[in-house]
Amino acid sequence: MNITRHPELLDRLAASYALGTLRGGARRRFESLAREHATVRAAALVWQTRWSGLTELQPAIHPAPAVWTRIDNLVQADRAASAMQAARVHQAAEAPSGWWRNLLVWRGAAAAGAIATLAAVVVGVQVNGGLRATTGAQIAALQQQLQATPQIQYVAVLADDKADASMLVTFDPKNNQLVLQRVGGFQEGADKSLQLWALPPAGGPRSLGVLGQDKLLKLVAQEGDVKEVPTLAISLEPKGGVPSATGPTGPVLFKGALIRKAT
Amino acid sequence: MSTLHPDSELMDLLDRIAAQDDSALKKLYERTASQLFGLALRIVRNRDAAEDVLQEAFLTIWRGAGNYRASLSPPMAWMGLIVRSRALDALRKRTTDRSDLMNELDDEMAQTLEGDMPNPMDAADASEQAFALHHCLGKLDHKQREVVSLAYLRDQSHGELAEQLKLPLGTVKTWIRRGLEQLRTCMARFA
Repeated sequence: MNITRHPELLDRLAASYALGTLRGGARRRFESLAREHATVRAAALVWQTRWSGLTELQPAIHPAPAVWTRIDNLVQADRAASAMQAARVHQAAEAPSGWWRNLLVWRGAAAAGAIATLAAVVVGVQVNGGLRATTGAQIAALQQQLQATPQIQYVAVLADDKADASMLVTFDPKNNQLVLQRVGGFQEGADKSLQLWALPPAGGPRSLGVLGQDKLLKLVAQEGDVKEVPTLAISLEPKGGVPSATGPTGPVLFKGALIRKAT
Repeated sequence: MSTLHPDSELMDLLDRIAAQDDSALKKLYERTASQLFGLALRIVRNRDAAEDVLQEAFLTIWRGAGNYRASLSPPMAWMGLIVRSRALDALRKRTTDRSDLMNELDDEMAQTLEGDMPNPMDAADASEQAFALHHCLGKLDHKQREVVSLAYLRDQSHGELAEQLKLPLGTVKTWIRRGLEQLRTCMARFA
């Protein structure tokens, strides 16, 4: 039987196929007919399009506001990652001084752009001999980037002992928000948590919070918590972290200077 | 049909997103998130899971807006299909994940077919093609409309629907067959 000569049957089969209720052998037979006959393929497409209208007809319900925040964070991380990628390409293609000028081109960007640039600086720093060798000029450039980003007043790049950047930390005092972005591939085990510490010049480490598993996370902090703190560190702790008074009990994995925007 | 959300406006936003304009993504979210969240919730039946689906869907839109034009679809339908596909992934993952057994039980509670009620569907922002479907579905008996919708949205077989809705298999088959016949006749007029 040539199905293309039975439009009624074809329409019925196409409707069930696209709805998804045509299953098993009948579905496979329909699929092979569709591969042979454009008419069958077209009928399936028509019904797929019709049924897709169902996705538009469900009652609208408001999602929690946090959902947008999460999406935005991930999108900004995405942009940062592609900017880093671009920076790498530039580095490969140009003389060592070339990429540096390119960083300045990015200055016009908004907060995300600035974070991306910072990340790119980190890459540059690694290439130029590790974070410990960070020069005054590079810090000045970082501060310049901060200048272009009004809300962010503090930034730190936490690196491991091989000077591989693993965490980018920014602090926005207006919103009392510490934003941490994982930039390395490190992932703690399911029974462990990473904990962020402020290492003030006097007194012991103070806990700033315990990190979730996300690539990008936010902690609430007061400016007093980070003001005058020269260094931030991240230790590996038992799941859920340890009390601030205890101090870090596990190894310190990442560490870095906290740089304040010059005002 | 849709004066509030003309397709061209959404298409313009998608074009801007394709050019990595994140302010356009925010606008698109403001305009479409509740519609798409309603869809995700209908499929996965769990707020947390539906929020994850919405998040993944918007990231897919962010990364894939450049492919939108080639789909030749109305923008809401294109986004709806992204949400449905993410939601189906989440459903499949959840069925294989035993730790979520309790959630699954909670869901079952809400999973009874209510008696006849007016068509709850929301066609305010729907594209023309969806509006036709809306019109034709409105002519079906509530239960027929429900099983047909769920079969599509959750990609469920007759057997799965019967099990989930606690109905005899023959009943589900009959409702779907009759619903489909009526819809075919009705939709043919819009072709």
